[in-house]
Amino acid sequence: MKALGFAWRSLVRQPARAALGILGVAAVGALLFDMLLLSEGLVTSMRDLLDRTGYDIRVTATEALPGRGPRVTGASGTADALGALPHVRSAIAIRLADARLEGDGGVPLQVGFQGVAGGPGRPWTVLRGRDVQRPGEVVINEGIAGQRGLGPGDRMIFRPACDAESDAPPAVTLEIAGVAEFPFEAVNEGIAAGMLETIDTACGTGGRDEADLILVASTGDTDAAAAAAAALRPDLHAVTNSEVIERFSESGFTYFRQISAVLSAVTITFALLLITVLLTVSVNQRLGEIAALRALGLSQQRVVANVFCESALIVGAGGLLSLPLGILLAVWLDRILKSMPGLPAEMHFFVFQADALVLQVALLATTAVLAALYPMRIVARLPIAETLRNEVVS
Amino acid sequence: MNGPPSSLIVRAIGVSRQFTMPAGPVTAVRDVTLEIGAGEHAAIRGPSGCGKSTLLHMLGCVDSPTAGTLLFDGQDVSSLSDAARSRLRLRQIGFVFQRFFLLPMLTAAENVELPQAEAGAARDDRTRRTRELLEFVGLGARSDHRPSQLSGGEMQRVAIARALANRPRLLLADEPTGELDQSTGEQIAALLDRVNADGTALVIVTHDGVLADRARRVLMMKDGRIERESTR
Ligand SMILES: Nc1ncnc2c1ncn2[C@@H]1O[C@H](COP(=O)(O)OP(=O)(O)OP(=O)(O)O)[C@@H](O)[C@H]1O
Ligand SMILES: [Mg+2]
Repeated sequence: MKALGFAWRSLVRQPARAALGILGVAAVGALLFDMLLLSEGLVTSMRDLLDRTGYDIRVTATEALPGRGPRVTGASGTADALGALPHVRSAIAIRLADARLEGDGGVPLQVGFQGVAGGPGRPWTVLRGRDVQRPGEVVINEGIAGQRGLGPGDRMIFRPACDAESDAPPAVTLEIAGVAEFPFEAVNEGIAAGMLETIDTACGTGGRDEADLILVASTGDTDAAAAAAAALRPDLHAVTNSEVIERFSESGFTYFRQISAVLSAVTITFALLLITVLLTVSVNQRLGEIAALRALGLSQQRVVANVFCESALIVGAGGLLSLPLGILLAVWLDRILKSMPGLPAEMHFFVFQADALVLQVALLATTAVLAALYPMRIVARLPIAETLRNEVVS
Repeated sequence: MNGPPSSLIVRAIGVSRQFTMPAGPVTAVRDVTLEIGAGEHAAIRGPSGCGKSTLLHMLGCVDSPTAGTLLFDGQDVSSLSDAARSRLRLRQIGFVFQRFFLLPMLTAAENVELPQAEAGAARDDRTRRTRELLEFVGLGARSDHRPSQLSGGEMQRVAIARALANRPRLLLADEPTGELDQSTGEQIAALLDRVNADGTALVIVTHDGVLADRARRVLMMKDGRIERESTR
């Protein structure tokens, strides 16, 4: 019988101990797995979201976040000029505003309002109806369509909130051309979008032609396109998606990583102690047997290998169980975290990554080894004669 | 009694074993000189604490003398590594314990196979040898039973089969009937006689006078020394 088979027999001989160990490792492993998914999940999800928009460069007036700093002036012209650059497929200027959607006697609905210029293409995908073709038309997202029962061909009354300094402009009536999906929309968030002129007119800033950001899609070589944009307008800031992600992971996301590292260390330590205790207790209960086997000529290596295999079996079985458990737990936790208002619906905190799986396996394997060290030492150093004698005397 | 050198299995020359205890050293075995030859049948007797088990453990190479020399097959055991000593025990020595120490999760046959597997015997040989041994100890029909399904006497018989698994030249038994009632003890004693009759040298530590009387050579110990020796 090989060491592994022998260890298996020893395990099933004490099913309660085996179950305790395996379930403990499964629980700890599930937590650990989730910590690992969490540590990179938000960054991965963010990258995915940014990439899915189809635009890989963001051009803004300053380093401030869009909507927080000064606007890009001459937005339509700039978008057209950027769009004509080599390596650039499309450039779209976007102006952001808040608006209140007046209801038919109901409560007003706060929505986001986007006006775009340039092209080709739009940073949204039309689901029903058609795309915006002229000023005075908008597409709305499912958030508005669902909450207000509106659809293509309907009209709606908007009261835009454009700038803090300017007076509240009068309400405007807009025609709904279609229903569209926006990449960053949050659950239940309402978004409407039309041409830049539409928002300019509504805000009473007609002719100003300003945008909060310009989205640029490269033909494939992001860096070349970004360099071309920067050369064209050195006064503006061109940032690629990977730079955005880098900046995010350096600042905000490090908290997730640190928290996850600390919690991972704690959970791993817990697993380590659990397995060490279980194995040590079990080995101590079997000292007489082990000494007898040694007296019969089983080598030190062999009895030590048995202990190690037991540890490997407990951790291995628990580790296998921990994956489905961890995934279930991650889905559940993700749902809880995502219920925070204002988060893009497609944003996830726990994202499966092959790296996390590899790290999980490596950490559990290390745990199996470390947990077995002390009981293996007991077995390796067992004084045979003294143990045999103690077993009879006691 | 003392055959030619080639038939000598183990030889203790002025062997002592001292234990260092907090209250001072305890000398369990003092200056014992002893030879066990091939096919011998010896019993070690003496009052509790006189050093019988300690001497037996040294003869079986699981403990080392603190003074004197122990030669197994003419080789100084103290010069052997732990691994070499394990190999020596595996192939040359069998142990039978008062408490049997069978592995409870293995069947009788698996318990007997274990030392053979460790010695690298082929599966077919192991199966054949195991069947043969279990037949020999009268448990041919119980080979798939776990120790918990066997009586004390049956467990000890499995333990004897296990000790004989690799055809040792020397079988050591420490109170092999200590946990058994008288008639079961007698069955075990008879079995051990048969083992010896087959050519395996036997050294039995026992309080049991009946068991000791079956031996051709009886060593009486007292205070760590062999006080007296008688032969039949
Ligand atoms: N590992 C040990 N540590 C300390 N003292 C020991 C150890 N082993 C044996 N002794 C001591 O050595 C002496 C002999 O012990 P041993 O077990 O050999 O006696 P024994 O003749 O087998 O006795 P019993 O018939 O009760 O089994 C005893 O005084 C015992 O206390
Ligand atoms: Mg004793």
